[in-house]
Amino acid sequence: MKVSLNRVKSWIKTITFYEIVVGMLATMRHLLRYKPITVQYPHERRTLPDNYRGMLALLRYDDGTEKCVGCDLCEAACPSRVIRVLSAEVPGEPTKRYAKEYYMDMTRCLFCGMCVEACPVDALGMTREFEWAVYDKRNLHLNKEQLLAIGDRSYPTREKRVEFQHPNVAFFNVAFKNLPQKSS
Amino acid sequence: MVELGLKLAFSLAQIVTVMTIILTTVAILTLVERKVLGWMQDRMGPMEVGPYGILQPLADGLKLFFKEDIIPAGANKFLFSLAPVLSLIAALIGFAVIPFGPNRTIELFGYEFKPFVISDLNIGILYILAFTSIGAYGIILGGWASNSKYSLLGGLRSAAQVISYELNVGLAIVGVLLLAGSLSLVSITEAQSGGFWNWYVFALPFPQIFAFVVYVIAAVAETNRLPFDLPEAESELVAGFFTEYSGMRFAFFFMAEYANMILVSCIAAILFLGGWHAPYPGTLLPEQVAWIEGVVWFAVKVYFFIFLFFWLRATLPRLRYDQLMRFGWKVLLPIALGNIVVTSIMAFLFPGGR
Repeated sequence: MKVSLNRVKSWIKTITFYEIVVGMLATMRHLLRYKPITVQYPHERRTLPDNYRGMLALLRYDDGTEKCVGCDLCEAACPSRVIRVLSAEVPGEPTKRYAKEYYMDMTRCLFCGMCVEACPVDALGMTREFEWAVYDKRNLHLNKEQLLAIGDRSYPTREKRVEFQHPNVAFFNVAFKNLPQKSS
Repeated sequence: MVELGLKLAFSLAQIVTVMTIILTTVAILTLVERKVLGWMQDRMGPMEVGPYGILQPLADGLKLFFKEDIIPAGANKFLFSLAPVLSLIAALIGFAVIPFGPNRTIELFGYEFKPFVISDLNIGILYILAFTSIGAYGIILGGWASNSKYSLLGGLRSAAQVISYELNVGLAIVGVLLLAGSLSLVSITEAQSGGFWNWYVFALPFPQIFAFVVYVIAAVAETNRLPFDLPEAESELVAGFFTEYSGMRFAFFFMAEYANMILVSCIAAILFLGGWHAPYPGTLLPEQVAWIEGVVWFAVKVYFFIFLFFWLRATLPRLRYDQLMRFGWKVLLPIALGNIVVTSIMAFLFPGGR
């Protein structure tokens, strides 16, 4: 009868609990070189990355006016139908519009950031806030004032009005990042 | 009459001491297990209650004590409340015959007492086996009386598992009993004195190393610990036989599991690793305080086994049910039986051993 060497080897491994011993040595190595990767969360916090997608916020220009022009593009871009915008003309300025009411149902938000991408005037921003646990989930149904307040506390430095950012966009509401390079 | 009263008082004092030590150890073990498991998995374990979480057992105990005691609708109330008590009593009562230290006698008021063993029964090991079998009833009854599918499945699993592995425990022990020629745990330990080469794992004429391995594996299975924790497989059966239990009844099951672990470790240390005997002949400390050394060595051996249990739990995944049964009946049982045959032949050829 032919007994191959491999079978003998595997048999010896079985009766000496080779695999179990290897596994137990691995766990013992972790016990001896104890380097926990736990972050004791409420006591110590990890530094969040710059592109962290946290709570959404509405932003203002540096003179305190709202950036939002009420174009509804965020509402259209949102996959979860979080956003509801009621747009209206700025009183006294027939060519300009603004968001008269702006609601976000954060219970549904999945923090994809598509509304921020869609916004032509960078009026929306994602903050690094994430501690938004509430006892009543109606508290997550945010209106414009609340969203602006989040933006105020998360974005202390505000952009200038679009008209003053660049001569080419004096009357053209496009996002700052999409500006054409000025030929020099 | 005076003698009886004195002996009763001394026994009661011993029982209280042993129970205190065991239950304190159980409380500490719940923390140690979580800590060791955490460290082995690069976690920290409990850190919130007290410095480094050392008061966690206290918090757990308080929580369990003040929790609502729920008896599910349709449960058999009598058996439901009997089951946890039954399994805790069965786990704790075995410590009556465990010798925790050297077999010496002290004289109090003219009568002799043995301080380190509550009762030196001449059938000690049979007594323990009998009562651990009753512990299985606690689990099965608890599973059945809960009126829940998960509990019933856990109870059924434990019935099959505990019974088939108890057989292996019993057969693995037989080799040691043949060599020692006694069922009393004190005499078995005393037969292993004088260095680690006289411990029954290594002792001539036939080292009980196979029986030792079989015993350890079967002991892990019998206490329902990972990798044999099928009765309470939390990823399959919610919590197995104690799914419906809460509050102090749950705590009883929990304590029973840990007390069983300590008991099984004690038996392994006594039968195979020489109980209170040091690995070197004699003792280092002077005659008067030599018992300290004995107790410490016993504790070291027991804690080594308990650590082994945690270590296995951190390493191995759970077995499948058919694997468990096949391993028990087709692998461990033949090894244990073969060990008995060879040991009895060797014990016959070389009577007196060594």
